[in-house]
Amino acid sequence: MSDKSRRKLFNVLTPIAAIAVGIVIVFPLVYGIFGAFKSPAEFSSYPPTVLPKSFLYTENFKNAMNIMPFWRYMFNSLIVASISSVVRITFAVLAAYAFAFYDFRGKNLLFFLLLATMMFPGDTLLVTNYLTVSQLGLMDTYLAMCITSFVGASQMFMLRQNFRTIPRDLRNAAELDGCGDLKFITKVLLPISKPVLITLLVQSFITSWNAYLWPLLVTNSAEMRTLQVGVSMLTSLEDTNYYLVLAGVTLSLLPSLVLFVIMRRNINKGMTAGALVG
Amino acid sequence: MESNGQGNPSVTIRRSSKVEKTKKKRRFKLRPYLLLIPIFVFAIGFIYYPFIKTMLHSVSTVNFKGEITGFAGLSNFKYLFTRKDFITALLNSLKLTVMTVPLTLLLCVVMALLANNKRKLSPIYETMFTLPMAVSMSAKAMIFRVMLHPTVGIVNHIFNLDVGWFLDEKTALIGIMILVVWMGLSFNFMLLLSAFRSVPDQLIESAKIDGAGYFTRLFKIQLPLVSPTLFYILCTDMVLAMLTSGPIILLTHGGPSRATTTLIYMMYASGYGSSNYSMAACISIIAFVLTFAFMILAFVFERKKVHYE
Repeated sequence: MSDKSRRKLFNVLTPIAAIAVGIVIVFPLVYGIFGAFKSPAEFSSYPPTVLPKSFLYTENFKNAMNIMPFWRYMFNSLIVASISSVVRITFAVLAAYAFAFYDFRGKNLLFFLLLATMMFPGDTLLVTNYLTVSQLGLMDTYLAMCITSFVGASQMFMLRQNFRTIPRDLRNAAELDGCGDLKFITKVLLPISKPVLITLLVQSFITSWNAYLWPLLVTNSAEMRTLQVGVSMLTSLEDTNYYLVLAGVTLSLLPSLVLFVIMRRNINKGMTAGALVG
Repeated sequence: MESNGQGNPSVTIRRSSKVEKTKKKRRFKLRPYLLLIPIFVFAIGFIYYPFIKTMLHSVSTVNFKGEITGFAGLSNFKYLFTRKDFITALLNSLKLTVMTVPLTLLLCVVMALLANNKRKLSPIYETMFTLPMAVSMSAKAMIFRVMLHPTVGIVNHIFNLDVGWFLDEKTALIGIMILVVWMGLSFNFMLLLSAFRSVPDQLIESAKIDGAGYFTRLFKIQLPLVSPTLFYILCTDMVLAMLTSGPIILLTHGGPSRATTTLIYMMYASGYGSSNYSMAACISIIAFVLTFAFMILAFVFERKKVHYE
C-alpha cells in the first residue's frame, strides 16, 4: 500500500517539478518579451520587475521600427532564409537520389566525402570563407549570405534513408515509361517524401533565419543587413536603451517562434533524426 | 522481382532488350555524377578548399589582402605560443568547455528523466524545454545582456547579488558560461528524451518485478542503454564549447581586459578585425586539432546510435 501511495505521490510531483524547471528555462524568453513593453522610466525605476505595467505600451516597437529599416531587414532575412533552405534541400535531394537509386564507381568514397564535411566546424572556416567571398566580389550580396549554407550533409543523409525505402523497381518502371530523373523526382519522389521534406525545409529555414555571424561578416551596408544583425546593432554594451533592444529582439524572434510552435512535433522528430548523423 | 521472374519472352526480344539495357546503362553512368555536381561544388568550394587554404596560410606569411607571400614553416605557431593573449584565449576556451559541458549534460539528463513518462501535461513542459531552440543566438545573448545587467537586470535583484557580470572581468566569463549552458539545454534534451523513450518498457517492468529500485534501474538499465546518445552529446558539446564565439562578439568583445577572449573570438578579431590572416589561420588550425578527436568520436557514436535505435 505504501508503495502505491508513494508512486501516486511521484506521479503528482514529477509533472509539477517538470513545469517548474520549464518555467526557469523559458524565463529569459518571457523576460525579454515582457521587457519590450516597458517604458524607459519603468526600466530605470527600482526594483526591477518582470511584468510590464501595461501590455498596451507599444512605443518601443514603434521606435525600434523607426530607428532601423525594419521591413527592409525583414525582407532581407526572408530572402536569405528562403534561398538558403530551398537551395540546400534541392541539392540534398539530388545527391540523395543519386546515392539511393544509382550504383556507380566511387559511390562510397563520394558518400563519405560528403558526410565528412560535417567534421569541419563552420566556425573554424569563417575567416577563410570570408576571404573567398570578398575575392569573388560577392560582399554585400544575398548570394554571399546564402552561399555557405548550400551543403546539407545531414539533410542529404536523412533524405537518402527515406528514399531507400522506395523500391528501385518503381524507378526502373518509370524509366521504361520514359520518365526521366528530374520528372521522377518531382512527380513521384517528392510527393511521397513530403513530410520529411517539409520538416527539413522548416528546420533549415529557422537555422538560416537565426544565423548571425556569417551575415554579419559579409555585409557592409546598412540596407543589406538581416534582421538578426540589424537588431544587434541597436545597442552596444554601454548603451542604456534596453527597451529598444528588447523590442527589436521580440520582433525578430516572433516569426521563428511561431513557426516552431506550429511545427514542433515535426521539427523535433526531424532534428533528432538529423542529429543522428550530425 | 516482377521484372525478373515474370513472363517468358522469346529469345530475340530478350536479346534486343538486353542490348538496349546495356546501352542505357552506359548512358546512365554519367547521370549520378551530374546529380552530385551541385552539392560537391559547394562542399569543395566552402569546406574543403577553405580548410586546405587555412592550413597553407598557417605555415605562410600572408599579406593584408589574403595573398600568400612566402613560406614561414612553423614560425607562426611558435610566435603564437609566445603571445600572452593567445594563452589566455586558449585557457578561456578550455575553462568554458570544462565548466559548461558536464553541467549541460547533467541538467539534460534530469530534464529528460522528468519528461520521460508521457503524461497529460507532457506537451506543455516538452514545449517549454525545447522553446529556446527556436530563438536565435543573437536574441538570446541580447536578452542575457539585459537580464544580467548589474542595476537594471532582474538576476541581481532576484538573488540579491551585487555582481557586475559582463562588465566585470571576474564574472564576465561566468555570465557567458550560464548563457552557453542555457543555450545547449533544449537540443540535447530532445535527443536524450527520444533515447530514453526508446528504452524497451519490458526491461524496466521486469526489473521492477525483480525489485530493482528507481536508482538501480536508472544506473543499471536506462543510462547504459542511452550511453551512445550521452557520448554523442558529450562530444558535440565539447566541440561547440571549444568554438564558442557568437555570444562573445555580441556581448563582451573578448573583454573586459581579455577575460572572455576565446580561441575563435581571437581568430575572428585577428582575421576579420585586423587582417592578420596567417595568425587567424594558425588559431583556426589549433581549434580544429583540439576538436577533431571529439568530432570523430561523435561521428562514431552517432553511427552506434543509429544501429541501436
